[in-house]
Amino acid sequence: MTKTLKITLAAAAAVLVAATAASAESNGTTTSNGTTITGAGSTFVAPLVSTWTPALGSAFGYSLQYSPVGSGAGIAAVTSRQVDFGASDAPLTPDQATACKSCVQIPWALSATTVAYNVPGAPVHLRLSGPVIAKIFLGQITNWNDPAIAALNRGAKMPSLKITPVYRSDGSGTTYNFTDYLSGVSSDWKNKVGNSTSVNFPAGIGAKGSSGVAGVVSRTSGAVTYVDVAYAIQNHIRFAAVRNNAGKFLYPSLRRIVAAASAFPKVPANNEMHIVNPSKANPLAYPISTYTYVIVPQQTSHAAELRKLIFWALTQGQKSQYTAKLLFAPLPKNVLAASEKTLKTIHP
Amino acid sequence: MERGDAIGLRATGRGRRRLVVNRIAELAAVLAAGAAIAVLAILVWSVLSRGAGALSWDFFTKGPALFGQTGGGVAPALVGSLLLVAIGAAIAVPAGVLTAIFVSEFAARRVGDQVRLWLDVLNGFPSIVIGIFVFALCVEVRLPLVGWGRHQSAFAGGFALAIIMLPLVARATMEILALVPNHLREGSYALGVSKWQTVLRVVLPTSFGGILTGTTLAIARAAGETAPLLFTCALAGQATDWNPTHSVSSIPMLIFQNSEAPDENLHQQAWALAFVLIAFILVSSLTARFLLERSRRRLGTAR
Amino acid sequence: MEARSLSAPAGLRRTRGAGDRAGDALLYGLTALAAAISLLVVAAIVWRVAAGAWPAIRVFHLGFLWHGEWNPVVDKFGARDLIVGTLVTSFGAVLIAGPVSIAIGLFLSELAPPSIRGLIGTLIEMLAAVPSVVVGLWGIYVLAPFDAQHLQPLLGRVFGWIPIFAHGGDQVESTVFSAIVVVAIMIVPITSSICRELFIGVPAELEEGAIGLGATRWEMVKTVIVPSVRGGIVAAVILGLGRALGEAIAVTQVIGNFIPLKLTIFAPGDTLASRIANQYQGAPSNLAVASLIYLALILLAITFITNFLAQRVVKRFERRSARA
Repeated sequence: MTKTLKITLAAAAAVLVAATAASAESNGTTTSNGTTITGAGSTFVAPLVSTWTPALGSAFGYSLQYSPVGSGAGIAAVTSRQVDFGASDAPLTPDQATACKSCVQIPWALSATTVAYNVPGAPVHLRLSGPVIAKIFLGQITNWNDPAIAALNRGAKMPSLKITPVYRSDGSGTTYNFTDYLSGVSSDWKNKVGNSTSVNFPAGIGAKGSSGVAGVVSRTSGAVTYVDVAYAIQNHIRFAAVRNNAGKFLYPSLRRIVAAASAFPKVPANNEMHIVNPSKANPLAYPISTYTYVIVPQQTSHAAELRKLIFWALTQGQKSQYTAKLLFAPLPKNVLAASEKTLKTIHP
Repeated sequence: MERGDAIGLRATGRGRRRLVVNRIAELAAVLAAGAAIAVLAILVWSVLSRGAGALSWDFFTKGPALFGQTGGGVAPALVGSLLLVAIGAAIAVPAGVLTAIFVSEFAARRVGDQVRLWLDVLNGFPSIVIGIFVFALCVEVRLPLVGWGRHQSAFAGGFALAIIMLPLVARATMEILALVPNHLREGSYALGVSKWQTVLRVVLPTSFGGILTGTTLAIARAAGETAPLLFTCALAGQATDWNPTHSVSSIPMLIFQNSEAPDENLHQQAWALAFVLIAFILVSSLTARFLLERSRRRLGTAR
Repeated sequence: MEARSLSAPAGLRRTRGAGDRAGDALLYGLTALAAAISLLVVAAIVWRVAAGAWPAIRVFHLGFLWHGEWNPVVDKFGARDLIVGTLVTSFGAVLIAGPVSIAIGLFLSELAPPSIRGLIGTLIEMLAAVPSVVVGLWGIYVLAPFDAQHLQPLLGRVFGWIPIFAHGGDQVESTVFSAIVVVAIMIVPITSSICRELFIGVPAELEEGAIGLGATRWEMVKTVIVPSVRGGIVAAVILGLGRALGEAIAVTQVIGNFIPLKLTIFAPGDTLASRIANQYQGAPSNLAVASLIYLALILLAITFITNFLAQRVVKRFERRSARA
């Protein structure tokens, strides 16, 4: 028996040594005596947070640990104080705000949701309108060669291919943004489905996370989904040119996202903004744009660090070296002012 | 023969048809076994061929790359899984061995049967329900040691894994304790040695191999469990973390998260990690089986 | 060698004193506590899950079981389609895995040459070692496309006139059928290894007697082996069923996460465990969270019932064979 014992102990020691080696190497990028700030939530803003992380490390020595588990889970995590901050593309509902016990939501990034599709033979930026998109996701338009789609895309030969809508099966801020838009352009959608981070989609299949829906669309011919523009571009998935209220078919670009944001200059007291479906006075606006929020308890032990971190994100973090490639537009001045004002209310 | 009449065996003249039926049945059995092995082979081959490209020294030692970049590795997940399984084993092995000792050395037959029954029931619980239980117990409610500050943590995740491991360890230990020859115990008592000394110095050392087997099998099972970790240890960052009061990354969670990642780099890492996990589990299971055979043989010759 | 270790072990005191009695009591206490805690965990799990589900039980009562709408926007939840999905997926998997496992058990106990019996048995048991998330990963990228491109068209052509095999739409990768196959693959190893043990346990004289009377091997299996271990086979199958019911991760990766269920299995669906795995972390309201825990309670109840049935079946077959 001692022989077995010896072998077991030797194996355990070997594993321990290997693991220590692994941890030593992988910790090399962050400073060893910095503060660890934890966050969780939106997969939408995860690419941006990812590019911010090394900069925050070298600027302040912070080790930022962010879990992209979805906006819904992020709100739950910060509500139970499991993380220092939550990130969500969906603003807090009144019930969530109560449960979170004096949390504030601060818009800290601005981007857009694309309608991404995999249709061999379709144009690079298929033209779609709000009502048509709503009908697709309601299961009322079922084939890509439907006359309603053809009417918007004269000159394009659409294949006869079944449409498979793909939606987020987890609690998602992108779902909130998308259903916000659809509720505005289709009363049918508003009555039948509604607007939330988690809704009862009447047709299609579900996948978990932005990467999940992007993955399914990449693999499935005829699939269409809604996903943030950074993921669509990164994974070479085509996305639609959506018709805005001025009649123009636009796909997301920095200018068009900024145009959508400037269509809604007023910032309410709780910072909750809906910038979908701007009026026809904004011909350049992309209609499915959204702010994304960082959700922080007003009283937190990491108040000083969070204030520094979020202020950096609101100012330095908006610079094009971090944001342009991912198609995050810089925050407009009025929103920046509101965010900074809210930030000041955070205290230890 | 009485039994033969009851079953109705009779030699008839339709020999040819019966032989054909027999052949078909044999073929079906061979096909079934062949299909199972084929599936295993295809699975291992798929995992290996898709993930082999990502296996490298960096893969095992570095943390994940930034969004859109290539390279990086899964070191945090490896360390996290090690931590979780270690915590799980530290809880489950003593509890399981002690329970097995109770059933085998102390308890009356009926009590032992009850314990065995409820351990089987526990073994049959879906692991996702166990995850919800530990979440409600440790993460929602402030419990000392296992989850403080209402955090998801490696302690909470390890505790969930321990619940899954407990029936396996207990059952394997019970089996091996039953195999320990009684004359060893009787001889010890005859010499005037107390019960607790007999258990600790005679019975347990003899069954060490079997206990190790049970532990190895339990570890192999726990290493691959995803559902219990979903709610107890899922919020993990990108750096390697040894702190058990934090939520840590883990192998099955990382595979689950990256399984549908359209990013080719992350996707390949998921396959490579899957291969590492299978390899670990297979090696552990085979080792456990080998140890068990050896224990059985030694105990058999000691009779 | 064992005798030698007995006669001169280090540290074994040979006289019983008060310390020894205390040690005995301590060991008894510790081990009894451990055993009690093991049982307590079972009770605690049931209680905590019921407590967590209580807010939803209070709102929906038992109607939750037969209402099908799952709508977080208006806080209206019902488990019917998820229960049906769970049962369809699990029973479907058992329908495939049961006969296959029995066949494999027979192969390993009767047909395989003795030299490779151990090897093949080990290989098949290794399939059990593959964790759920890896089977799911493989299911998404290898099995589901194979199902979609080859199996489903084939089955559709042969059985398509039966409603449950009807064409379910062009999207055929993430379907209930894929989930059934994935779960079947996962439960075959357990069930087949139990079957193998059972078949090996049948006394050789019975088998030889049948062969001696002129039975072919298949007839011998049909008339001697299977009847004598019928209870065990059923128990093994029900054990597999229990495992199938609780499968969350592999199922959620390939099933499509969609309700309401269509009649055909070649369409997306969802199960209790899969829905919990997907939505629990980010549930938007307290009632949503409680409803998901209610789902867990239902799953627990189904598992209990399955286990209980298995015990009863085993007992009944044992009684019958004891009488014979």
